[in-house]
Amino acid sequence: MAKKLYYDVSKCLACKSCELVCAVGKSSSKELQAALSEETKPLSCVKVKSLESKNFPIACRHCKEHPCVSACIAGALSYDKTKKLVDYDRNKCVGCWMCVMVCPYGAIRDNKALKIPVRCDLCQDADEPRCLKACPVGAIIYLEEEELDKLLKPKKSV
Amino acid sequence: MSTKKIVIIGNSAAGVAAIEAIRERDNASKITVISDESYSAYCRCLISNYLAGTIDENGLIYRDKKFYADNMVELLLEKKAEKVDVKKKNVVLEDKTQIPYDSLIIATGASSKMPKDLKGVSKKGVFAFRTINDARDILNLTTVSHTSCILGGGLIGLKAAYGLKKRGQDVKIIVRSGRLMSQVVDNIASSFILKRFQDNGIEVLLNSDVSEIIGNGDMKALKLDNGKVIGCSLAVIGKGVSPNVKLIKETDIKTDKGILVDEYMRTNIENVYAAGDVCQAYDLTMGKPEINALWPHAVEQGRYAGANICGDNLKYAGSFGMNSVEFFGLAIISIGIFDGDYETLSYADKDKEVYKKVVIDGDRLIGALFVGSIANSGLYTRLIKERINISGIKDDLLDENISYAKIKNLVKEEKEKIYI
Ligand SMILES: Cc1cc2nc3c(=O)[nH]c(=O)nc-3n(C[C@H](O)[C@H](O)[C@H](O)COP(=O)(O)OP(=O)(O)OC[C@H]3O[C@@H](n4cnc5c(N)ncnc54)[C@H](O)[C@@H]3O)c2cc1C
Repeated sequence: MAKKLYYDVSKCLACKSCELVCAVGKSSSKELQAALSEETKPLSCVKVKSLESKNFPIACRHCKEHPCVSACIAGALSYDKTKKLVDYDRNKCVGCWMCVMVCPYGAIRDNKALKIPVRCDLCQDADEPRCLKACPVGAIIYLEEEELDKLLKPKKSV
Repeated sequence: MSTKKIVIIGNSAAGVAAIEAIRERDNASKITVISDESYSAYCRCLISNYLAGTIDENGLIYRDKKFYADNMVELLLEKKAEKVDVKKKNVVLEDKTQIPYDSLIIATGASSKMPKDLKGVSKKGVFAFRTINDARDILNLTTVSHTSCILGGGLIGLKAAYGLKKRGQDVKIIVRSGRLMSQVVDNIASSFILKRFQDNGIEVLLNSDVSEIIGNGDMKALKLDNGKVIGCSLAVIGKGVSPNVKLIKETDIKTDKGILVDEYMRTNIENVYAAGDVCQAYDLTMGKPEINALWPHAVEQGRYAGANICGDNLKYAGSFGMNSVEFFGLAIISIGIFDGDYETLSYADKDKEVYKKVVIDGDRLIGALFVGSIANSGLYTRLIKERINISGIKDDLLDENISYAKIKNLVKEEKEKIYI
């Protein structure tokens, strides 16, 4: 099983609910009120950016090439082939920002205060990515690639 | 699949990536890795963190012993490859053992350049800074040393200075040129870095050179070219690196600065590949073969060499200078060309210690510098690497809010399925 996040840009309104729920999910308390008063403000792994009246949620896509893994001088980033996921080991990370320097999507940000890269991990600590349910318009899709293909291909009538 | 004997000399970034690429494709061939060090692969770039005491030896491990077992790799540690015989197709170790190969990857990396003609350079207390052993020897001496001198203001020298400062040494950096990191950043960025080092209690002597290292056996002092003498019992040399090519000197393998390779990481000799700091591959920003002795490139090149040994025909696009470091909380990223006779756009805020600069050649981005604020720097790496025409987004290049959305329609993206 290797689900990924996809975004339906025809639906996305850039309401940034995904950003909010993501940041809260990355806080130590995992609750909005408490998160707001945490000393180091949690950062969202997803950022919605607009171009020509369309909105694009930008987050780590766990890409096939994953240059961040090659660039990681600390061996903190690795690629899990079965989960098709870029994995992160906080214990090994030294906060050198090589990953930020090579991410082709600008999807890794530096949390300077914590010295850790802010990067979508598909909410490994939860059942599914938190942004999924938070999106009020259903623009966020979480599927395996094959399932997505089926969904996208209009059924041919016999 | 036919089984081969694959030999890899060097067990670091390039060697490990080659192992992984080979085993993704071929579980049958025999892989032998030769290393003259005594550890399984470790994070060479982090020996300064180890010196600083922010990580321990365990934290340095890049691939543990299990990795070699899992990947069915015969790992020969503490064995130096003395020479390669490309006619007989074998590697001769220092102890004269011969190791035959069908395919060979030379991933021997580089060594610190030691200024041979500097008087006293071989005295005790003078160190290179390349291996765990170097770091450990330095660390041992810090228990009795009070003042440490660093020769060279490049990345390695500064990392050593940082580590030694964290260990409570009184650190002085002696730099021949007029500024720090002169090979990778411009004057303005240098001045930010200089300030950060000085603010953290490190003395930087610019436009100075060491003329002699003084002492009997153990070093006791440094003499500068202006006659001044600095008492110190520990010195680290950070004067660049040179590729480890000695073992192929007797072969017809072509070298320039390093071993020359084509876009498949092949040398001019059949079945012999090279990758990492030892090799000189195509440089995308220079448009000619160059050594870019950097970890990410070593990994990529190793991966390409491994894949191509297995019959893939993967073309390596080329490398270019890029680095990211942080000193005392100041983040610095340098990508591609940072100066010269080109169009540049820049923004500097001295108070906030933030600096951003882009270097443009016609309608291509060829370099970018970030100090203090490094968000989205990956986008610039990509614009440079893919040689994107940036004329339409020039005005956005210094904008803090630049994002992938902005460059989305310009870059090469396989049919982008992420956005539907
Ligand atoms: C202190 C320090 C900090 C660094 N920081 C950065 C950084 O921030 N970012 C970055 O990109 N890069 C950095 N680098 C550079 C980076 O470490 C190298 O680019 C990278 O290690 C190259 O990997 P490699 O596999 O080509 O060679 P190496 O890591 O040099 O490994 C080659 C191995 O081969 C062995 N070997 C050599 N000759 C023989 C022989 N004849 N027989 C057997 N074994 C042999 C060597 O002992 C060594 O173990 C840093 C380096 C140092 C020393």
